[in-house]
Amino acid sequence: MIGPEFDDVLPAAADGDEEAFGRLWTDLQPRLLRYFMVAAPAVADDLASETWLGVVRGLGRFRGNEAAFRAWVFTIARHELLDWRRRAARRGAEDLPADGVVDQAAPDDPAADALEGFSTREALAQVASLPPDQAEAIVLRVVAGLEVNRVAAIMGKRPGTVRVLTHRGLRRLAERLGDGGRIRRVV
Amino acid sequence: MRRLPATPDADPLALDDETVERLLRGELAPDQAPPGYAEVAELLTAVAAPPSPGELTGQAAALAELRAVTRPRRAAATRRAARRRRTGLAVAVLVGALVTGGVAGAATGHLPAPLRDAGRSILGPLDDGPAPAQPARPGPPSVPAAQGGPPSAGTTTGPQGARPGTTAGGPASTAAGPEDNKGLCQAYQAGKGDEQGRKLEASAFQALARAAGGEDRIAGYCAGLLGQAKAQDGKDDQGQPGADGQGQGGPPVTDPGQGERAQGAGSPGR
Repeated sequence: MIGPEFDDVLPAAADGDEEAFGRLWTDLQPRLLRYFMVAAPAVADDLASETWLGVVRGLGRFRGNEAAFRAWVFTIARHELLDWRRRAARRGAEDLPADGVVDQAAPDDPAADALEGFSTREALAQVASLPPDQAEAIVLRVVAGLEVNRVAAIMGKRPGTVRVLTHRGLRRLAERLGDGGRIRRVV
Repeated sequence: MRRLPATPDADPLALDDETVERLLRGELAPDQAPPGYAEVAELLTAVAAPPSPGELTGQAAALAELRAVTRPRRAAATRRAARRRRTGLAVAVLVGALVTGGVAGAATGHLPAPLRDAGRSILGPLDDGPAPAQPARPGPPSVPAAQGGPPSAGTTTGPQGARPGTTAGGPASTAAGPEDNKGLCQAYQAGKGDEQGRKLEASAFQALARAAGGEDRIAGYCAGLLGQAKAQDGKDDQGQPGADGQGQGGPPVTDPGQGERAQGAGSPGR
């Protein structure tokens, strides 16, 4: 979050001020990466870069507060994701990476687990293993920091639907983590 | 999912909307989370954890795109602003120079050096003005003959006759015109001798050279223009000075070829 300074940062960045733009980028790039790590982990970096191209080109025309800006950025991100999925489908399913982030989540040192809990990568892998709509709803709420109504607009769903998706996703995570007994046994 | 609330053990993982909301916002620490959700709270904390250094690489590419998008826009805005300032200043000084210089120049045929320099530096930006040889008159435009005698129609005047692409790229339709060239001519005549070499370097005098049809024709052109300015007192300002401008030695000559060149030089590849 940039906060009250956002109203000055945005027009400066749109005018080419690189320091101002850097603040937007630093705030949003990790969020974009995490969104894509859940949705398309094999190409997360590329999709984040493509999203920034779209953001830069549209920056001068955007009007709104920080929450609206963030929603706008993730709208672009989602378009990039859908474009990529369409291209991948045309190329054929053989190019589609299989749940890369889940495979990458190697088990951590149990001692470190007890102290630090999940690594971000591992946590994203858990979210990514949910049904895609549930995973996306949770990531947009938690990572993008967007309210239900904005997430609903981005996903093209009703707010009530987004609530149900997040609710089910959290519940499913609780079931899985409980079954896995990672930390529950400690409690 | 249709569990009766009266049977709490029926769905130990049931959540109400507010608890879901607080979990998503990270407002519930693992030990505050409802039973069965401590790990979820922990997981969501990790999902929203502060960025790692590895997540903050690659800004250069985004900045490069930002430069590519905003630099042309910024440069254009800067050029527009500078041109507005320059044009305003040039017009103001031009009026002053013509009033003062016209009187002084007419009286003595000589411009005071400071005014001359001012004219040289200020009139420069206006060098994109149309050449006087392109009046709003149908038919072949004409330019005054050169000192050396009447050129034949269609001949070239040498490499300096047409110099497209030498202007600085300003609006081709600013107020510059014959009156400006009179001022330039006065400054030109005032600096005869070794100064002229330097003068011809200045963009204002390149414009004069274009208007005259070549650097070697400036003297003749100016003589005609200034002489005609006196002769034309009381005449319509919209008259075409080039049409009846006098070369130093020859009769008025119509040269369509030169007219084309002058026109071409007046609106360089924009």
